[in-house]
Amino acid sequence: MEKTTDGNPEHRTTDHAEPIIEVRNLSKRFGRKLVLDNISLSVEKGKTTVIIGPSGCGKTVLIKHFIVLQRPTEGEVYFKGRRVDNLSERNLNEIRTQFGYLFQEGALFDSMTVAENIMFPIRQHVKIRNWREVDEVVKMKLAMVGLDGFQNYFPARLSGGQRKRAALARAIALNPEVLLYDEPTTGLDPIRSDIINELILKLKRELGVTTVVVTHDMKSAYKVANRIIMLHNGKIVADGNADHIRNHPHPVVQQFINGQVGEDDLAVLRMSGAVGSSQFLPRDFQ
Amino acid sequence: MIAALGAKAIEDLINAGRFGRFAWRSAVTSLRGCARRSTFPLIWTQMFIIGVHSVPVIMITGAFVGMTLAVQAYDQLAGMGLEEHLGVLINISVVKELGPVLAAVMLAGRIGGALTAELGTMNVTEQIDAVRSMGTDPVRYLVAPRLLACLLLTPVLTIFADMMGVVGGALVSFLQFGINSRAYWTFSASAVALWDVSIGVVKAFFFGGAIAVISCYKGFNCREGAHGVGQACTEAFVASFISILALDFALAVIFKSIYMIFWPVKSIVT
Repeated sequence: MEKTTDGNPEHRTTDHAEPIIEVRNLSKRFGRKLVLDNISLSVEKGKTTVIIGPSGCGKTVLIKHFIVLQRPTEGEVYFKGRRVDNLSERNLNEIRTQFGYLFQEGALFDSMTVAENIMFPIRQHVKIRNWREVDEVVKMKLAMVGLDGFQNYFPARLSGGQRKRAALARAIALNPEVLLYDEPTTGLDPIRSDIINELILKLKRELGVTTVVVTHDMKSAYKVANRIIMLHNGKIVADGNADHIRNHPHPVVQQFINGQVGEDDLAVLRMSGAVGSSQFLPRDFQ
Repeated sequence: MIAALGAKAIEDLINAGRFGRFAWRSAVTSLRGCARRSTFPLIWTQMFIIGVHSVPVIMITGAFVGMTLAVQAYDQLAGMGLEEHLGVLINISVVKELGPVLAAVMLAGRIGGALTAELGTMNVTEQIDAVRSMGTDPVRYLVAPRLLACLLLTPVLTIFADMMGVVGGALVSFLQFGINSRAYWTFSASAVALWDVSIGVVKAFFFGGAIAVISCYKGFNCREGAHGVGQACTEAFVASFISILALDFALAVIFKSIYMIFWPVKSIVT
């Protein structure tokens, strides 16, 4: 069993599984800002790992390292035991086809229809002989996310939830081994959020993919996770299953999972003064 | 103060290095793209957007350049009794300098701005990352077709601008100043050689490349938000404009040197 930063490896209830992604001593700086600070973790094959943490704590930056959309300042990234962070963009292209990435806002190509978006990775990597087969694949992928019939829609005409589902259909177009979800439920109402959660579970069940979800939606995290990792200030502060996280003694973890404001934040609010006392009113300009 | 200057110099050097690498990668990828059939439809699409849609504006620019030159130069030449040589001045200026430069400036505004805005928006909405995440090189998919379309079509558009400049200048000369058309064309034909037209076309090739690479680079590296995209568009236009003028100067020097080397040979042959 791998080492965990909270020092309690037995908190991990998942059986020892083969790691598919591994990061070792990963640090990432943007200018002077240290976003990730010496992180080591591995993602187990076939499991769902959820990374939680407050906004801006480096969750998205971390999963972008898994697919090497970001390069580490220090440390190493491995995929199936092969070091990938030092590969050229050209060599990475083949590896990236084994990943599906759902971006926070979907990142659908707005100049293409939904069908063309899903066809994009297929056209780039598969020699197409029969276009009817491609149409069938697009139809099947859209049916998996409940969007069959939306082939000719442009992304601008879709709602937020539909856009994420269409982006998910594109992410699974090449039958990836790993699916990375970046804040899949952000900006969606509770029902649409739950639809996305069900989709995550369905795709894992039906495609057998390894899943990594970045979220700050605890309901979603508890529902889909085999393992939850919490990041805070660029470090891992908790790592274990849902029960372990619920009962974690670290105050930062409890604050986050219960959605409580910290004393530091309250102090900042108090310092900003009473509402109205420091604000200009329209009459001030008359 | 010195530390700040040093830091700024280092930052500028890093940015110049990044741009150099981007330009090199774009050039190599575009060359490879020429050999890939899958790139052709992308190039056609960009040629339509960049080329066909720019024809009217380029033709109008060219026509006004020729017409203005005629109005400005007539009095000087007429004062010396050389008004029939007006065509020489207009046509040499149009095909060698003003046609390519002003057409390129117009394209930098029309196409460069659009390229930066499109790629910048794709960048801030993570669409470029999406291309990378699906195992496709965004330089190959997004930059190479645009660069190739600009390289191929800027010379063609410049020929349109030249043609309209020649026509515009001639119309003003004949209709407004009553210059004898036969003398006008005879003097023009004896003074404007294929070499002069070729210089303009070759310059346009370089201008097109500069506009495409600068605009794509700015789009790929723009800051987040609407302000970031807007700023990138402004920077792309300013950088393209300065590059066009700098390239024009450099190419003028180079072509003049080439001409000076080969001119004696030409006079021996002919």
